[in-house]
Amino acid sequence: MNFATIGSNIVKLLSQYWKVFLIEGLSNTLLLTVIAVSLGALLGALVAILKMSRFKVIRFLISIYIEVIRGTPILLQLYIFVFALPSLLPFLNLSYFTWTAIALCINSSAYVSEVFRSGIQAVDKGQTEAARSLGLSAGQTMRKIILPQAIRNILPALGNEFIMILKETSLASTFFVGDLMTSYLTVKGATYLGFECLIIVGMIYLCVTFPLSKLVSWFEKKMANPNYKKHDHKRKRAVMEGGKV
Amino acid sequence: MEMEMIKTVDLHKSFGSLHVLTGVSETIRKGEVVSIIGPSGGGKSTFLRCLNLLEKPEQGKIYFEGAEITGNLTKEEKHAIKAGTMPKPAKVNIDQHRQKMGMVFQHFNVFPHLSVCQNITLAPTMLKGKTEAEANEMAKELLSRVGLIDKLDEMPGKLSGGQKQRLAIVRALAMEPDVMLFDEPTSALDPEMVGEVLDVIKGLVNTGMTSVIVTHEMRFAREVSDRVLFMAEGNILEQNTPDQFFTNPTHPRLKDFLSKVL
Repeated sequence: MNFATIGSNIVKLLSQYWKVFLIEGLSNTLLLTVIAVSLGALLGALVAILKMSRFKVIRFLISIYIEVIRGTPILLQLYIFVFALPSLLPFLNLSYFTWTAIALCINSSAYVSEVFRSGIQAVDKGQTEAARSLGLSAGQTMRKIILPQAIRNILPALGNEFIMILKETSLASTFFVGDLMTSYLTVKGATYLGFECLIIVGMIYLCVTFPLSKLVSWFEKKMANPNYKKHDHKRKRAVMEGGKV
Repeated sequence: MEMEMIKTVDLHKSFGSLHVLTGVSETIRKGEVVSIIGPSGGGKSTFLRCLNLLEKPEQGKIYFEGAEITGNLTKEEKHAIKAGTMPKPAKVNIDQHRQKMGMVFQHFNVFPHLSVCQNITLAPTMLKGKTEAEANEMAKELLSRVGLIDKLDEMPGKLSGGQKQRLAIVRALAMEPDVMLFDEPTSALDPEMVGEVLDVIKGLVNTGMTSVIVTHEMRFAREVSDRVLFMAEGNILEQNTPDQFFTNPTHPRLKDFLSKVL
C-alpha cells in the first residue's frame, strides 16, 4: 500500500459511491443536526427560562436535568433512547433515526440552555437597573434591553453548538441510521477499503465544519463591536458630499 | 411647609451579614437639592438605590409623593391586618413610581444596542403613550440642551464617557420625572470630562428639579446643594446647609472625613 494507490482508490471510490457519501450520508447528517439543534434550541430556551425561575423546586429539577445530560456520554444517551426507551414504550413505533434525533435534541437542549442562560446573564446588570429605573417592567426589560444584547453572545455559541452536534451525529452510526459515518461503514463493507473511506468521510466532515467555524468566528467579531459599521456608510457619504454628518 | 417628595422611615438593609443601612429616616422636600457624601461602604449608594427600590430594604418605609412604595409592614400593622382592624394594603406598582424617579448611574448604563435617539425615546413611547414623532422631538430638544444634538443617530459605543453620562441624564429626563437620583455620576469619568457632566447637573438643578446626589465632588456638593448629608456606618451622622456643613462640622467622623478629602 502506498500513497499513489490510496489516491487512486479514493478517486475510484468517490466516482462510484459519491451518492452514498453525499446524498445519503451527508444529507442525513445535516438533517439530524438541523433537527437536533433547532428543536434543541426551542427546548433549550424553555429549559433556560425554567432554570431562571423564581421557584426553587423548578430550578433544582432543571439543574438535575442539565447535569445528568452534560455529565453522561452522548453515546450512552443514544443507547438509552434507541434501545432502552423503545422497549419501555413499545407502543411508540419510531425508527432508529427518529429516536436518534430525539436523543440529540435532548442532549443539545441541555447545552443550548446553558448557552442561553449564560448569554443572558453576561449582559451587564446595569442594563437591567437602568431599564427598571425608567419604569420598564421585568418583561419589557427582558424583551427590549436584555435579549437584543444577549443575542450577540448567544448566536455565535449556537453556531459552535451546531458544529459540535454535527460531529456528534457520527455516533449515531452505531445504529446504522444512514448518516455520513454510516456510509463509511457501508462502503467499507462493500469494498474493504477502510482507510480510503475514512479519508473521504473525514474530508466531507471538514468541508462542512471548516467553513462553518470560519463563519462563526466572523460572526463573533461582527457581534463583538455592535453596530459600529451601521452608520459608517452614512457618515462617509455625508462627508464626501460635503454635508453635515 | 414645602411638600414632601420622598420620606424614608427607619430603613434597614443588609447584604448577608453586612448591615448596610441601620435605620435611616430622612425627608427630601420638593425642589430640594440634597447631596450625600461620606466614605465608601458607608451606605450612600445603597440608600439612594433603596429610594427607587433597586435595592429592597428589609424593614422601614419609603413614601414617594405620599404613597408608601416598599410594601413593608410594621409589627403593629401586621397584627392589625391579622385582627382585621386594618385592610390589607394594595400591592404597590413600583414600575409606575419609578417612571417619576429618574436615576443616573456611575457607569452610565446607556443601552448600547440602541441609537442615542432611541435610548431617549424608548421609555416614553413604551410607557407614556408618546408617539414616535413626539418622542423624537423631545429627544432632539433634550440633546440640544446637553450639547449632543449632532450625536442623534450615533450609537452610544462611539461616545466618550462624559457624553454617555450626559445621554444617560437626558434619557432619565425624557420620562419627565419629579425627582432625579444621581449615584456618583462622575466617579467613572476621566478627569477632563467631569466638568461637562457637572455643568449639565448644575443646569438641571437650577431649573428646580428635586435632586438627590451621591458624590465625591465636595466643591460641587457645596455649590449646588440646599442641604448636605454625611453618611457613614449605615446612617446619616450629620446634615446641614452646605456652608455650615463644610465650615463647622461637628460629628468627629465628619471632621475626620473632611480633613482627609479637603
